[in-house]
Amino acid sequence: MAPHSPGTDQIDTLLWIGFVAAAILMIAITGALLYVARRYRSERGAEPRQLFSGSGLQFRVAGVLTIFAALLFILGVVFTDNAREKPTTGEAGLASLKGEPLKIKATGQQWLWRYDYPNGAFSYYQLVVPVDTAVELEVVSTDVVHTWNVEELARKADAVPGKTNKVLFSTGDEGTYEGDSATLSGQAYAAMRTEVKVVSPEEYEDFIETQSEEIDAAEERVVGLIENGETP
Amino acid sequence: MLSLYGTSAIFLFALPLAIGLFYYVAPLQIGARGTALPRLGQVGMALWVAGATALYATFLFTPSEAGVNPLPPLSEVAFLSNNGVDAWATATGLATLGFVLLSINLLATLRVMRAPGMAWRRVPVFAWAATVSSWLMIVVGSVLLAALTMLMIDRNYDGIFFADGSGGAPLLWQHLSWIFYTGAYMLILIFAFGAIAEIASTFARKPLFNRNVVMGSLAAIAVIGTLAWMQNMLTAPIGVGWMYFAMLMSLALIVPFGLVLFNLIATLAGGTLRMRAPLLFAMGAIFAIGIGLAAELCHSLVAAAWQLKNTTDATAATHFALIGGSVFGGFAALHYWFPKMTGRTMGESLARISFWTILVGLLLGFVPLFFAGAGEGQVVDAYKYFDDTGVTGYNVVASIGVLILFVGILLTILNAIFSRENGPEAGHDPWGGDTLEWFTLSPPDPHNFDVLPDVRSPRPLRDIREAIGHRTRRSKDAAARESQPVA
Repeated sequence: MAPHSPGTDQIDTLLWIGFVAAAILMIAITGALLYVARRYRSERGAEPRQLFSGSGLQFRVAGVLTIFAALLFILGVVFTDNAREKPTTGEAGLASLKGEPLKIKATGQQWLWRYDYPNGAFSYYQLVVPVDTAVELEVVSTDVVHTWNVEELARKADAVPGKTNKVLFSTGDEGTYEGDSATLSGQAYAAMRTEVKVVSPEEYEDFIETQSEEIDAAEERVVGLIENGETP
Repeated sequence: MLSLYGTSAIFLFALPLAIGLFYYVAPLQIGARGTALPRLGQVGMALWVAGATALYATFLFTPSEAGVNPLPPLSEVAFLSNNGVDAWATATGLATLGFVLLSINLLATLRVMRAPGMAWRRVPVFAWAATVSSWLMIVVGSVLLAALTMLMIDRNYDGIFFADGSGGAPLLWQHLSWIFYTGAYMLILIFAFGAIAEIASTFARKPLFNRNVVMGSLAAIAVIGTLAWMQNMLTAPIGVGWMYFAMLMSLALIVPFGLVLFNLIATLAGGTLRMRAPLLFAMGAIFAIGIGLAAELCHSLVAAAWQLKNTTDATAATHFALIGGSVFGGFAALHYWFPKMTGRTMGESLARISFWTILVGLLLGFVPLFFAGAGEGQVVDAYKYFDDTGVTGYNVVASIGVLILFVGILLTILNAIFSRENGPEAGHDPWGGDTLEWFTLSPPDPHNFDVLPDVRSPRPLRDIREAIGHRTRRSKDAAARESQPVA
């Protein structure tokens, strides 16, 4: 999956570092094994030399492995820290925030994602965010453990009841990004998908405005119906 | 089904195969005439059978629907109110209690019933792996039992252990269960490495390249590996410091795992390899475990795990390592010690066919999942995938591969059943082994040994063979001298 945010760029690089490191080990192990299997077949009556190694060679091997592991650890910390870096809102982003990230609450519930925007509007399934704007998603759950997962924009984050998991991201690319849930949450888990629509700040303002008006209108209508003694 | 597959694979296949072989072979290897606490062993075995029965009895009413690791709150009574999760917890609880009791017996046997002269430094590697694994199972098995008890109290007596607020925490279950599952993962690999070490040295006719390093590494894997449990929780709301701790522990494992693999391959190098079934399966195990562990490496880099967590890439890595450990490693051990258990060797040609079928099945079944998981982000446990996500081809190949893998496993099981009665007679030492189990009859008498040699090295049987060879040569020389004409 192609990364579309500074954070996922870092994640992607670290992934490739991991793949290369894994490939080196896989090739080394498989290669050594195949070589040994071809080279040292039995010959009748041959008795091999009873070779075993002293600690010097073992220390050298352990040293190489330690350096390899330490290098990976350092790279892991560096790129993870980079990926966690707070994104900043750019020129093309939502200006009204004054440097603060746009806070949106993402609530996992069986089997739907709900997004609450700062002005009180909310939406289900689809999250709409402005382009080039730092977004702080507060991932929470009302029932079981879910995992919010939109790979191209941000990291996976578990929604655990009673805890808040923060995800920070910003993206410069408008468009629609598919996502899903990544922890078994019951029967309709596979269908618990989501979508992030990245639009211009004006469109975003329009969206939350209309959304909020429509929600108010719907509420009024229902309240009116109940007051008239009808069932909504 | 979802819950049953993983539970069966771990509790009814991998762990019992490992612990069962430890239980049969390790006492023989140390020259014990039985086990230290036989009744405890009997109880353990009965508990495990009860657990296995309970697990499959759920087919008659409601299997658990909460997955291999049933995370609360999903596994709480509010979300799954039928008794599937209770049955799952009972079944795994009984099986785990069985494992813990068996491990206590095994550990007591290994401590007090070693043959004269068998100091810890001369204990065979497989028996050492049994020691490490028993300790590990006693520790992590108890942790799972505690977690299961809490889950049962939550479900049946209005407990709040895993409820949020009011003092409980859903994450507590994740910590406890992952300690067990990570420990069990390490146990399966330690078992496989122990068996491979014996097989490698027997079939190459060489001593282990460096015994102490292998034995130390196995112990290190048990400790460090279990401490890396939070590697499975990198997307959970835990502090980033804990994530780095998990990464440090996981990456530190590269050293002991690397040393073990290096020493195993170095043992084979320079030997005279007899490519019989045990060695074939052992080499398959080294290959598959190597691929699996290398792939797991990406999952311990924190930010990389943020993307790979719960994708089929994780499924593939775990399956490579654990099929390498329990299927290849377990079957290598089975082929190797089968003559000791039954007096007959397993059919060689069927063993070869089974090996190649399993290998092809493993590659076809799980390599596509690496691509689907890492490339397309396909998530685990989903009952369906969507057309536009581009994983259809991968999944079709993987399904065929897993079917082939299953046929391969079935072939070895059939081979074992037929060879019990009809295999070629093996004699007491078909492979020319170096450890004490080959000193007794196949199958051994109920008391295992009539007499025991003094143990003076880690390879007592080789010492005996050398002594006999020495004496034969000397008497031949003497005979040759006597037959010389005097004048």
